[in-house]
Amino acid sequence: MRAAIGVTGGKGGTGKSMVAVNVATLISREADLVLADLDAEGANDHILLGASLENEEPVKIMLPFIRYKDCIKCSACANVCDTGAIMMTREKLPMILPRLCDGCRSCLFVCPTNAILEGQRIVGYTYQTKVPARGGGSGSGDEDRGEGEATFTLVTGVLREGEEHTPPVVIAAKRRAANLAKDLLMVDTGAGTANHVAIALSGSRLAMAVTEPTPLGLHDLELILRVLEELGVEAWVIVNRWGIGSSDAIAGRIDEVARSHRATVKARIPYSRDVVDAYVKGVPIVSAMPDHEVTRIFSSLVRELLEVVRGRPEAM
Amino acid sequence: MVFEIAVASGKGGVGKSTLSSTIALHLKEKGYDVIAIDADADAPNLHLILEIESWEKTEPYADAWIAEIDYSKCTNCGRCLDECPFGAVGLVDGKFVINQVVCEGCLTCTLVCQDRAIKRRKVERGTIRLARTAYGFPLWTSELMPGRPNTGKLVTEVKNRAREMARDGTISVVDSAAGIGCQVVSSLAGANVAVLVAEPTATSLSDLKRVHTVAKQTLLPSALVINKYDVNPGFVEEVLRYARDENIDVLGMIPYDDHVPRAMAEMKPLVRLYPDAPASRALLEVAGKVEEIVRNWREWSIRHRPSRPASYMPIVIRPPQM
Repeated sequence: MRAAIGVTGGKGGTGKSMVAVNVATLISREADLVLADLDAEGANDHILLGASLENEEPVKIMLPFIRYKDCIKCSACANVCDTGAIMMTREKLPMILPRLCDGCRSCLFVCPTNAILEGQRIVGYTYQTKVPARGGGSGSGDEDRGEGEATFTLVTGVLREGEEHTPPVVIAAKRRAANLAKDLLMVDTGAGTANHVAIALSGSRLAMAVTEPTPLGLHDLELILRVLEELGVEAWVIVNRWGIGSSDAIAGRIDEVARSHRATVKARIPYSRDVVDAYVKGVPIVSAMPDHEVTRIFSSLVRELLEVVRGRPEAM
Repeated sequence: MVFEIAVASGKGGVGKSTLSSTIALHLKEKGYDVIAIDADADAPNLHLILEIESWEKTEPYADAWIAEIDYSKCTNCGRCLDECPFGAVGLVDGKFVINQVVCEGCLTCTLVCQDRAIKRRKVERGTIRLARTAYGFPLWTSELMPGRPNTGKLVTEVKNRAREMARDGTISVVDSAAGIGCQVVSSLAGANVAVLVAEPTATSLSDLKRVHTVAKQTLLPSALVINKYDVNPGFVEEVLRYARDENIDVLGMIPYDDHVPRAMAEMKPLVRLYPDAPASRALLEVAGKVEEIVRNWREWSIRHRPSRPASYMPIVIRPPQM
């Protein structure tokens, strides 16, 4: 793979997935692309692309099993378990609580008598779907040479309901996507700033941080920019739903926060009924309305993105 | 006994914080003893709505670890990279490096390192803070250091702090995080009612179903608020059908209203700044219904018991040797 591009944002519902599917659709007309939906707790890119999830593969993590005939009741396994998944019974025998186990395998390595065997637990699934990059349309849109021929691969990670540990699913889906990506990989992360978001973004050439022009968006933007700074990933800020509330009043503060974290505000996407309609129909607006103002914004954003990833190729 | 209301949605940005703050304000006005809890530790926002007068307490929450390599002992054997289950170890310029915003702090690399070159050190995972709001009730918030592993324990800890200061009849309003991970599971666990929020879109419905499944796993009766119903009216029926099938109590529908982001910009609660705005009226009506649930909880919870209960069963693959 030549490069990875991230889409993230901190706050939920700011339009990460909307940006991801539109940018992916445009890029796929110019380059080989794999889009990884790494929002394992609420993966939605396939819905926005009108695609279904296919080629399911389970995500397995290690689950310890105790071979009691070899157990010397030393408690070492329970002592190294940070998640409380190993309980010592009154008879000093370790008992495994599968739901709490995060599969770290420390117990396996600490056991002095090799009494722990490696079983597995399925915590989620990954999917691989071929998505037609529809449209291009008949309008005067001139950069869509692909004309509906283009496709890209969508890889999706889905955490099982009731499972609490997101990182293994993100890691598995990212790996599956990276193995398929010959040219470009784009990752769409979950909300928040926890380490499953950092895992998704790590190694990216640059990341788009999608926010909204409210103090809530601004607050969470600052948090995600700190993560990107720590990861050494160049950050581009995309302000979505521009025009809602008191956008102008907050514009200066968004610029300021971006600047103080060495990020650049690259685009303001106006709040538009048409974006909502396209979202609801499950067709990216760049496909549905090639001449729309928002499509033009995405087109110039993609042009700039491709210049960066093509101009200075970097291994992941 | 504390009465706990957990506000959740699966999908982010659909109106959890606006609804949570409205419920807390309304119940306080009706004379209840109220505690607000922001359980969205990796993107906390409730303090930006509920005008904070003063921060009364700030405590570090230091239960996390990070592994560190002592390079004077490291002989580059690479076992840490091979065995790290979370992909936190990388090879940079010939040196093994642990990524600080990925590391989960488990002991695996420490245990497999043949040179005993890796130790872990305790780090702050986040902070727990208590604030006095301008509305006469306290707000407990949790804040995760960016890039640290999420933890339901932080949420449980904050909920416990609220319980400690609660009196008989106190109501906690818990604003949960997006998603269905450990933070959300801990937000829902032990609650009396899940108030779910959804928009009439396929994405929001998909996430609603997932978070509702988690709520059902803890046997929670659920209520539903449909936000921005007029943005995609054709899909409202689809959401309502799910609610009917699952015996979820639909409390109301909120229209799209630009007063909502405007109130956010002023960093004041919508229902106080623009009490006559269409969204405010609808939200206050919903808050009134939540109050009825509080008053008649026993009867309500029996009536809205999940019609299709779900329970969590791990999918386990036994080791070949067993």
